Amino acid sequence: MNRFATRELSMLVALLAIWAFFAWQEPVFLSARNLSLLSVELAVTAVLALGMLVVLLPGQIDLSAGSGVGLAGAVAAVLVFWHDVPAPVALLIAALGAVLVWSAMGALIAIERIPAFIMTLGGLLVFRGLHWLVIENQTVPVVVGGGQNVYSLLTTYYLPVVAGYALAGLAVVAIVASALAARRRRQSYGFAVDDGEITFLQLFALAQMVFLVVIVTNGYRGVPIALVILGLVAVLVHQLVTNTPFGRYLYAIGGNEEAAVVSGVPVRNAIIGAYALMGGVVALTGFMQTAYSGASTSTVGSLMELDAVAACVIGGTSLRGGRGTVLGVLFGALIMASLLNGMTLMAVSPEAKYIARGSVLALAVWLDLRLGKDR
Amino acid sequence: MSERIVLEARDVVKRFGAVTALGGVSFDLRAGEVHALCGENGAGKSTLIKLLAGVHPHGSYEGEIQVDGKTAEFHSTRDAERAGIAIIHQELALFPDMTVGENLFLGTFPQRFGRIDWDRVYAQSAATLADCGIQLDPAVRVGDLGLGQQQLVEIARAVGRKPQVLVLDEPTAALARHETDTLLDLVRRLRSRNVACVFISHKLDEVFAIADRITVLRDGCAQGTLTAAETDASEIIRRMVGRRIEDHYPRRQSTPGRTLLALRGVDVKAPGDGALALHGIELEARAGEVLGIGGLMGAGRTELLLHLMGLWGTRARGAVELNGRPLLARNPREALAQGLALVTEDRKRFGLVAQQGVTFNVSLSSLRSLRRGFFVDRDREAGHAKSIVEELRIKAQGLEQPVGTLSGGNQQKVVLGKMLLTQPQVLLLDEPTRGIDVGAKLEVYELINRLTMAGQAIMLVSSELGELLGMSDRIVMLCAGRIGGTFDRSEATQERLLAAAMGRLERAA
Repeated sequence: MNRFATRELSMLVALLAIWAFFAWQEPVFLSARNLSLLSVELAVTAVLALGMLVVLLPGQIDLSAGSGVGLAGAVAAVLVFWHDVPAPVALLIAALGAVLVWSAMGALIAIERIPAFIMTLGGLLVFRGLHWLVIENQTVPVVVGGGQNVYSLLTTYYLPVVAGYALAGLAVVAIVASALAARRRRQSYGFAVDDGEITFLQLFALAQMVFLVVIVTNGYRGVPIALVILGLVAVLVHQLVTNTPFGRYLYAIGGNEEAAVVSGVPVRNAIIGAYALMGGVVALTGFMQTAYSGASTSTVGSLMELDAVAACVIGGTSLRGGRGTVLGVLFGALIMASLLNGMTLMAVSPEAKYIARGSVLALAVWLDLRLGKDR
Repeated sequence: MSERIVLEARDVVKRFGAVTALGGVSFDLRAGEVHALCGENGAGKSTLIKLLAGVHPHGSYEGEIQVDGKTAEFHSTRDAERAGIAIIHQELALFPDMTVGENLFLGTFPQRFGRIDWDRVYAQSAATLADCGIQLDPAVRVGDLGLGQQQLVEIARAVGRKPQVLVLDEPTAALARHETDTLLDLVRRLRSRNVACVFISHKLDEVFAIADRITVLRDGCAQGTLTAAETDASEIIRRMVGRRIEDHYPRRQSTPGRTLLALRGVDVKAPGDGALALHGIELEARAGEVLGIGGLMGAGRTELLLHLMGLWGTRARGAVELNGRPLLARNPREALAQGLALVTEDRKRFGLVAQQGVTFNVSLSSLRSLRRGFFVDRDREAGHAKSIVEELRIKAQGLEQPVGTLSGGNQQKVVLGKMLLTQPQVLLLDEPTRGIDVGAKLEVYELINRLTMAGQAIMLVSSELGELLGMSDRIVMLCAGRIGGTFDRSEATQERLLAAAMGRLERAA
């Protein structure tokens, strides 16, 4: 418990240090407008990272995620812009396609035993090629003639001020209710629970955080819908990995695959399921990222798989599988997104950005090893 | 044995957080003696030898360690090695893809002009092996050797460094009888050269065969050092558990009911080469009965259990029936669903998700029946885990303690609990008491009694004849993949079982 706290605390310190540095260099970093933009960028990075978590838990990896993001966004954009397909239909087609393709990769990995690293490295190249083929090396906007559609609204729609507060209120009520219910259940089974005051303080701090986010984003245009999407995905993935048999299987496979087999865990199906889910997440991220750039270009999604892996690892996910939490990944994604956003504000050259991203990743893994030595 | 003390621990105290693993233990080792350490799992044996070997560095414990009468401060295992202390851990640290010679010299390769001098590597390896009385070709790949021979290579590697103290942590746990004999011979040979040996084993007959003195540990405290010639096994056991165990095998027989599991003329092809590995296996396990399965190493005992679970080999002929219906199990999942469950012999590898907690592990095989809608019903899950922990008396700090940090006996109970939660009709136990302490063994036996009373059938694979004789109602001996003989409890003797295992049974009328 103690070591756990050390790790969490050092992450928080790192995040605050990053924010303080950027705020000092570029005061506009803390402006409502920039924080609102940051929250959209966070949403894109974090959604993909949550998918990556599901794949990393059973000890697999997906290097094709970034290319997939580009391809899924491109397919949807091409359908909308060149073939006049209604945006919802286009998104659905692209998403279904991604789920199918990723399930197939999962099947090749789980049944044919192609190492995930190689399989998805192949995917990285193939999807990148398909991506460029689909957009014919042009720039394909996500909406015709500067209008609006579901696709473009993914990163440009903001909740009205009142709706933002209502949503925040609802979220807080839901969190408090579930926390209290869990507490009562534990008590009824005679398990130890935290002191009432501590629980109250935790919930109070959380509620303040939620409202702070809403107040800040309302200072610009309102809560971005992308942030709401992230919230939904986070709750969904959290429930999935902690409270369903499927999620337990992922941890068990990553922790000890041989024992999982003997224990009757459907190893193959679980791995295929993880990749199918990743397919859906890749498509969703693809739509958001492409919408954020306004059009599908040849660089959309490039290297995003590495940001996702970095976010997971910074958040305490083990690359060997069996360890990782949604909260940690969200934190890691926030650190990565803050770094990228801040560096863009400071007009850091792209060369330096790459070097900084890579260094942070290596540093995070090193710290994780130092702090998690006895685990 | 001389009176010269080469290694001594004085009043050492070692704590892990709030847990005191060693509470002031003193221990001395003389040149040319074999000093056995006995104690249940968790008694502090491993902690003590880790202190002596520098795994727990100086400063992380209280008390003093002396080598040749001088205070030693080991900051790493290298320091201990330099002081002439070699340790052989339970888990082998060999590289299976390298040859015996390469393994012996790894890290200390003799070189010539910056290149490894292979001629010298193999010449010296051969000399070291001959010196240890081991007949092995140093150019053989270690992975191609049996477990027993690998163990000998490991010892030869340590001996090659000319240690004055050799620590052996359960060296015979995985060995067959004749391999054990070779190993004990090697230890005697080292003793005659004035090497001091610390010998840890759960097998008391070995301890008495080799040890000069015996130190017993219990709950982190020394329970006295005895001269082997002046004591006996029951005295050692009494000190280990703190109470006298009257009955090693408390089997209570119940009246067998209907047949639950039946194998009829089963032939099984091995995976890989497809050769027949099990021939014409014919056996029945009835409700309320313990069916013992014995045989020498490689007789096919484990393979038989794995095959039933759908983990090993393909059936070439014959039928398996569970509860009167044909058993269709292509994988453990299907076997579990039909009421068959297996506790494997290698619990770390096939039984536990080490970094996860007790609840996670115990419920892993039953998650589907613990569902409420899409989700695992955490309350029911915790309730089941709690009752398993209480029923099996699993000693853990709460339900979330990572099982990798439990003692061997408690780990085994977690694996047993996981299988019990699936409510099997037939429970397959493969060496369920291997490497666990006397107290935990007794609890496993009592559990077997309770389960058979409740009408389950148990197939018990064991390489200890005493355990087979003591706990089984009927015994099937396997011999090279065939049935060598089937015995009722009343007609079985050690001699007859062994004869059947070696295929020399004159058919009893």
